[in-house]
Amino acid sequence: MAVIDVVNLSKAFGPKVVLSNVNLQVEEGESLVVLGGSGTGKTVLLRNIMGLLTPDAGHVAVEGKIIAQLSRQELFQVRQSIGMCFQMAALFDSMTVFENVAFGLRRHLEIHEDEVRARVEECLSMVGMKGTEHLKPAELSGGMKRRVGFARAIALKPKILLFDEPTTGLDPVMTDVIGRVILDLKHELGVTTITITHDLKSAFEIADRIALLFRGECIACQAPADFKVNPNPVVQQFLRGDADGPFLQDPPPPKRKPKEAHA
Amino acid sequence: MVLTLFDKVGSTVLQAMDTAGDFAVLAGRTFAAIFKRPFDGANLMRQFQAVGVNSIPVVVLTSLAVSMVFAVQLAFGFRQFQAEGLASQVEGLAVVRELAPVITGLMLSGRIGSAMAAELGTMQVTEQIDALECLATDPIHYLFVPRLLASAIMLPLLTAISIAVGYWGGYLILVGVEGQSAYVFAGEFYKLLAFRDVRIALTKALVFGMIIALVGCWKGYRTQGGAEGVGNAPTSSVVTSSLWILIADFFLTKLLLV
Repeated sequence: MAVIDVVNLSKAFGPKVVLSNVNLQVEEGESLVVLGGSGTGKTVLLRNIMGLLTPDAGHVAVEGKIIAQLSRQELFQVRQSIGMCFQMAALFDSMTVFENVAFGLRRHLEIHEDEVRARVEECLSMVGMKGTEHLKPAELSGGMKRRVGFARAIALKPKILLFDEPTTGLDPVMTDVIGRVILDLKHELGVTTITITHDLKSAFEIADRIALLFRGECIACQAPADFKVNPNPVVQQFLRGDADGPFLQDPPPPKRKPKEAHA
Repeated sequence: MVLTLFDKVGSTVLQAMDTAGDFAVLAGRTFAAIFKRPFDGANLMRQFQAVGVNSIPVVVLTSLAVSMVFAVQLAFGFRQFQAEGLASQVEGLAVVRELAPVITGLMLSGRIGSAMAAELGTMQVTEQIDALECLATDPIHYLFVPRLLASAIMLPLLTAISIAVGYWGGYLILVGVEGQSAYVFAGEFYKLLAFRDVRIALTKALVFGMIIALVGCWKGYRTQGGAEGVGNAPTSSVVTSSLWILIADFFLTKLLLV
């Protein structure tokens, strides 16, 4: 049985259909990377998995439990087994790094403060952020915030990790760092992961399977090697990163020829 | 033309009912969440500090100013028909029954209601409230309940401080400036008052505290649209809670004085 089962999922906001009959299954320990242009419903997919949004049609099941049918208490129990890493980290800005990572531990586990401290240090060292416990989120760079967000997400030892565009807005070096951290977490924790990203390099490093969302539909979901040779022109255009092709609804501006150098 | 008018009136009524329903549901969920576990004492203490202790200077200053101005007006008014002695009695009645709870309520709606709306609004647009949900924490329980409890408990205490300060504001003017006897003022200030009046003042403060916290949290929680939304939330919270404080004051006065 798949750990995460997305069945005929549809979601619209007013007249705008964001997801249309999306089907995805993620097996235990598998790493799925979801690609897609901006506004194609990738984040909406994750928010449906977390139960932050309710599907218009279809459903999402996590470990066999249909999210939209759970009571609030049952939903909170399921959420304790899922770690969510937000695009902009969403750290609690009134708290220190330590308090952010310790938040879930203090709320859900009746453990001694020494154990909380040990677990927080362990999580921070896993993401390479040891020694930043006393800092406030405002004192951290974008990449550091993401990594603290990862530490907070793994503190409760979840079975599933969801990453929402973890590398967006970061420089190439930090993007590589984040990619390595995700890989380390995947191997060290053995968790099931869904990663949304635009960064093809880290996508091919992280993924066991890659899915591509296009205009609300999942048009490909296969192993990285197969995805690379997928004949679908949309997939190939996305891999090339070319503006010309069927990917864009509105035609792109014409390509200018580079001016010849002045003699 | 007529149809368009009906259309507009209809949609306005529906929108108003939708808004009222949303507020009622969130308020109901907040009251229902008061006794849920886990109890976060540190969070509650922070709110007591923010709502209560940090508001003392503003409550003292405004209560002093208003009671002094009111005493000046009373002294002037009663002097017109040689009844200066009544000024301290009416001062006492006005401060305890109306000025202390209403001034405290309005000042705190500006000070803490707006802060609650701005804080929760920022948390909403930066996905911190979603992060709370994802960490299996009910935002109503974690954010609304401590603020509601702190406001409901601290507003009556601040009103009691306001009454005490109001006494000394009246004393400064009526004894210090108008030359009334301090002994007479001390007796006359409480002459028209009964314990019921203090109970009414504290009951009003309790209700005002709940209005301020619920409206502030609700406006923040429903913030949309980035910086503009965060900017509008405190303004809207202050206007709405101030309006409801004045409306509630009228009904509570009618109800509790019977």
